[in-house]
Amino acid sequence: MAWYLIGALFLTGLWGVAAKHNIVKKAMALSIANNALILFFIYNGSRGAQTAPIEGSAKVMADPLPQALMLTAIVVGICILALALALIYRLYLRFGTLDIRTIERKAWKTHE
Amino acid sequence: MSEGLVPWLIIVPLICGGAAQCGKVWKRFDRHACVLSTALLTGIAAVLLPARAAIFSGAVLRYHLGSWTEPVGITLILDGAAWVSAALIFIITFLVAVFALGERRYGAAFFFFLMIMTAGMMGVSLTGDLFTMFVCFEIVAIAAYALIAFDGTAAGLAASFKYLILSSVGIFFFLFGIFLLYRDIGSLSIAAVSAALGSPGAAAVPSTHLALVSLCAGIGVRTAFIPFHTWLPEAHAYAPHPVSALLSGVVIKISLFAMLRLLLQFGGQYLFGLLLWIGALTALSAVISALAQSDAKRLLAFSSISQMGYILAAFAAGESVSLVAAFSHAINHALFKSLLFLTVGIAVQATGERNLYRMRPLGRDYPIISAAFFIGALSICGMPPLNGYASKALIGTAMKGSPAYPLLWITSFATVASFIKLSRIYLPGAISARARTKPGVLTTVSVIALSALCLCAGIFGGPIAGMLQRLLQPAVPFAVPALFRVSALLMFTPIAVLGTAGYFLIATPAARSLAARYESFMPNVRTVLVLFFAGLACFVAAGRW
Repeated sequence: MAWYLIGALFLTGLWGVAAKHNIVKKAMALSIANNALILFFIYNGSRGAQTAPIEGSAKVMADPLPQALMLTAIVVGICILALALALIYRLYLRFGTLDIRTIERKAWKTHE
Repeated sequence: MSEGLVPWLIIVPLICGGAAQCGKVWKRFDRHACVLSTALLTGIAAVLLPARAAIFSGAVLRYHLGSWTEPVGITLILDGAAWVSAALIFIITFLVAVFALGERRYGAAFFFFLMIMTAGMMGVSLTGDLFTMFVCFEIVAIAAYALIAFDGTAAGLAASFKYLILSSVGIFFFLFGIFLLYRDIGSLSIAAVSAALGSPGAAAVPSTHLALVSLCAGIGVRTAFIPFHTWLPEAHAYAPHPVSALLSGVVIKISLFAMLRLLLQFGGQYLFGLLLWIGALTALSAVISALAQSDAKRLLAFSSISQMGYILAAFAAGESVSLVAAFSHAINHALFKSLLFLTVGIAVQATGERNLYRMRPLGRDYPIISAAFFIGALSICGMPPLNGYASKALIGTAMKGSPAYPLLWITSFATVASFIKLSRIYLPGAISARARTKPGVLTTVSVIALSALCLCAGIFGGPIAGMLQRLLQPAVPFAVPALFRVSALLMFTPIAVLGTAGYFLIATPAARSLAARYESFMPNVRTVLVLFFAGLACFVAAGRW
């Protein structure tokens, strides 16, 4: 069940990136898809385990490697999101809109 | 040569980035910081040169970060292929940084991102595990987004955003592929996964097949072959000129090398049939798009896509010479395409115009730069004895008898036609008052160095191919091809003749109006994503054959 829920979250994110016209929503959808991927790793690592990877013996604790990896993936995701929002801010200052259709219509005509 | 030097290939560019950042803190020393960070970059050569003897004798240098061994730790592996990529990264980045110093328009922040990108690329080529490769790909990407939008122009910002959306979706699938491999095999080190997959490769089990194609699609976005190429024309055309040179020169090559490595390690030979046709189609359709462009930098960007397809097709032909042909054309393309982007950048800067029909010919104003431009243009056309000729001859041997070869042959004379079209910007014309500002000394030096490298890589094309063979696949016997035989030299004549004829064909009014209509077609972000998913589906279906 959980696999399907995480998969649905991933697909929701991808759908949002493709279907939404508002560029802030696109950035948020990217973040949703990224979080779903992180859940994939974490859920897989915790199957059959009873405790967090800091307590108990190696038999009962969750696989620590995915958790360590995902810490890095979260940081990378935050960097991308921050950069995307900074770009969106600059785009908004330039074009006065957040609609990707308007931005793309204007952008390539005004190249300096 | 001790293994301890290997991590310095990544640490040195990071130190350079730190040095550049000092100029951001102390504004007075902005220029000094830029010069310092470029000078420090030569430290990479100080690591690569001592390693040369060991690498050439077939040694593989491994360094375990923090002494943690696999599967927990991160291992850096310096083998022949990694050494070649590191040398390529160093040469192009250093010359582009020198060019940017000469331009005097780019401050400390620019050099900071440039150095971070270099560190990321080094990481991609040195890493021994998939997750570190993912992180390094993202480091390269973050620096690239910032650099593309660096000038803050409307087109630059929009191009950067488009690239961000597409390549983030691509890297999600890369991460998904890593997840599948970790779930099935329980290791992330490339060598361990390769050993676990064994001789049947990734094709044996559906989930590993899905993992491999996800990895390929993720890297495919960075490498820019059809249908993942849609971000490249905008991103490379509207970026600042040194950034375009760097992106077209090394960034797409490094991801291509990473993809070739994964395909060979994970038994991806069953995908070669698909990749051959994707490569040939990419080469042909992108060069047709290049012919239609009137924007000088967009023309170069499409030509980059076309050459990437050329390299991919040569690799996927699967002959014993294929890997060497692909690598040597990738290296030569890095040299002449960065040269072309830099010289065209100078022309765009001097005339304040991007449309090549409206640009004033600059041949008389900038004789040295225009000579360098013509060396680059003749290289990409495959004129002997320049480097494009040498690697195209190798590709010809690799592709002999392949059904996709006619497409590549058409590509090579269409390339000639598109560069005849472009070369009007450096034809000798009237000297004008506006072009008084001569390019700086450093700018000229970097351009001359690149064109000298193009010439040398062509003249010594045979020995260089032999050297690549020894570094990449020492087990396979290989005779250094005699490049400058009369029959091989004559091969260039029909291409040149047909190319010139093709140029006159596209210069007719009917063709130009058709081109103008075709040129205004640009896929939007949604189409780009749909194309990405279609490409992914294609790769997934390839396993069923």
